Amino acid sequence: MRAVRRLAAVSLEAARLGLHPGQKATDAFALVPELKTAEAEPQADAAALAALADWCVRFSPAVAIDAPDGLFLDVTGVDHLWGGEAPMLADFRGRLAANGLTFRCAVADTPGAAWALAHFGADGAIAPPGGQAELLAPLPPAALRLETEAWAQIERLGLRQLGQLAAIPRAPFGRRFGRGALTRLDQALGREAEALTFRRPATPWFARLAFAEPISALEDMARVTADVTARLCERLETQGQGARRFELAFHRLDGKALPLSVGLSLPGRDAARIAKLFAPKLETVDPGFGIEVVTLSAEAVEPISGRQARLDKAREATVEEGLGPLVDRLTNRLGEDRVWRAAPVESHVPELAVGRARPLAKPSPARAWDPAAPRPTRLFRRPEPLEAVVALVPDDPPTAFRWRGRLHRVRRAEGPERIGEEWWKGQIEDVAVGHLRDYYRVEDAEGARFWLFRAGLYGDPAAPPKWWLHGLFG
Amino acid sequence: MRAKIAAIEAGGRAQAGVLPFGDAAIDGCLPGGGLPLGRWHEIGGTGLEVETAAAPAAFTALMAAPLARRGEVVWVLRRDDLWAPGLAGLGFPPERLLQVCARDEAEALSVMEDALATVGVAAVVGEVEACDLTAGRRLQLACEKRGAAGFLIRRRPYGGQARREAGGSAAATRWRIASAPSEPPAGEFGLGAPRFLAELERCRGGRTGAWLLEAAQAYEPAAGSYNPSGEMTDVAHPLRLVADLGDRQLAPAQPAHRTAA
Repeated sequence: MRAVRRLAAVSLEAARLGLHPGQKATDAFALVPELKTAEAEPQADAAALAALADWCVRFSPAVAIDAPDGLFLDVTGVDHLWGGEAPMLADFRGRLAANGLTFRCAVADTPGAAWALAHFGADGAIAPPGGQAELLAPLPPAALRLETEAWAQIERLGLRQLGQLAAIPRAPFGRRFGRGALTRLDQALGREAEALTFRRPATPWFARLAFAEPISALEDMARVTADVTARLCERLETQGQGARRFELAFHRLDGKALPLSVGLSLPGRDAARIAKLFAPKLETVDPGFGIEVVTLSAEAVEPISGRQARLDKAREATVEEGLGPLVDRLTNRLGEDRVWRAAPVESHVPELAVGRARPLAKPSPARAWDPAAPRPTRLFRRPEPLEAVVALVPDDPPTAFRWRGRLHRVRRAEGPERIGEEWWKGQIEDVAVGHLRDYYRVEDAEGARFWLFRAGLYGDPAAPPKWWLHGLFG
Repeated sequence: MRAKIAAIEAGGRAQAGVLPFGDAAIDGCLPGGGLPLGRWHEIGGTGLEVETAAAPAAFTALMAAPLARRGEVVWVLRRDDLWAPGLAGLGFPPERLLQVCARDEAEALSVMEDALATVGVAAVVGEVEACDLTAGRRLQLACEKRGAAGFLIRRRPYGGQARREAGGSAAATRWRIASAPSEPPAGEFGLGAPRFLAELERCRGGRTGAWLLEAAQAYEPAAGSYNPSGEMTDVAHPLRLVADLGDRQLAPAQPAHRTAA
């Protein structure tokens, strides 16, 4: 079967000429010979939609993408910031139009009703609470978000309005048109709840500041950061909560949102401290032509008990006042992977025996390292090859070796400590005797102590054993 | 009289105390009878150790081990090759160690400063190439805030050129550490307890000296087990004096080619 090129989308002008999406491209050219077409780019469209969803966070933190071309905003509890749904929708429309987008939007109690009104109703319709049924009644069955076959079937039976559908008793309706159609109808009318997948989970811990004039100076940005942090932290404090992560977004005039985030090692709500953690990152924000809105959201919110500041200073400092802030300062400045505590991992392969734990995490349940087994203070990430190794007898420690161009004569040695590979983790055919390591602790004539190993065994001419230096004891 | 001079030098600030080695030969050289806390100490290596800094790191871990029982120890690295199991073997509690990998020299110094001024941090170890007078003075002020001890391990990046040694320094003491051949007990094979040749090159308000020290408890099962609740328990210092090499130059104990590099 040959692939047929079809129109994926048409402009308003093309639609006026009678073209429609899904039409064969050859038919369209026959109708309108001067038609200009461009390849559809679904991925770019999806990326643009995602960017638009991020932009919409300025209106509501709960934005869900309705692929391929829709967005749901949950405006419950945020419309009062604009003084009602109508002014909010007007602001929304104005800003979208200013960005040169073509769109249709509607406000309703349920996502289903809003979708139906936006696609088939009057543009910019606002359904009063509980009043979506009347507005939906004249709409065609296609407004139910059904498969094309399903709504075409409904229309073939002469049901051309949702009002007629709603009048049919539920049981025959379900039998005739299937469970899916019934669900969609219930969702539109608010008889059944619908879960939306929000682009980021809606957090009730959200604060927003809008400015009369766009700001761009660094000092202003620092000040609004402090203000918005104080606002959110006050709410956290009254509810006895603390958060581990704060995400700040500067919304620029050109519609871009610049995110910054800080993490805390322990949940906190000290506004001054959090604002201070943001301060060095503000320099990376490019304000462009100005910033008009700043939003802050708190994530990983959990209850923390309000602790009284200590009265007796003589006692030992708690983690909250000493180490916690230090770890936060360091992780936010250097990056999370640069501050860690070594945690034991149960593995006998030396380079796998140490994991990195978060600095203030609970100690891991793994068994601690055996202090009786001598281990070097410095371990090379990759072992360094040794040259001119003289070992008198197989399985004996070397008597001399050359490392970094210098000859070391071994005075004392201990070993071998045989460490095999973790054959149970990989493929059985990858296991080879060459991966076997015999570790020796040796001391040269001057007292320097080395941890070296021989990989492989003697006696295999194809793979002669090699000597490596893995660590230094000092 | 020494105490009087120290009081004048401290400028009225409270003294943070000392950490005695437990041996009169060493403590006698140090002002106040032990390694002064609330100050910072410079530790260097010899030969190739200028780049690998294994012996200075082991020695510092041993010196800081008693402090780790009082609070956290922050170890600021430039190169992430410090290996916690090795420190555990020396008797240093790894669960009290916080490792920080800094991107450059200035960052390492500022992280050290930040950590030294933090409540609950008993000691801060930093691996940097050099520390000029201003940075040293800043470290000193940070040390005085909470009485934490700073240890600055001088370590050159691999393949780096030797820099001119800074003449003056705000450090309280300056040590040069080299590994020394171990002596296992008679009739035993293998290696004995790790030994270090510690040379006290500079000491404010004290005398210089050189000693052969042994970490007698290293790699013994008891050494790693420590009591988390037993803060400030009177444990013996992990380093034991083997021989006093006096205040002379270490020419006989130190073959020429080790110092040459």
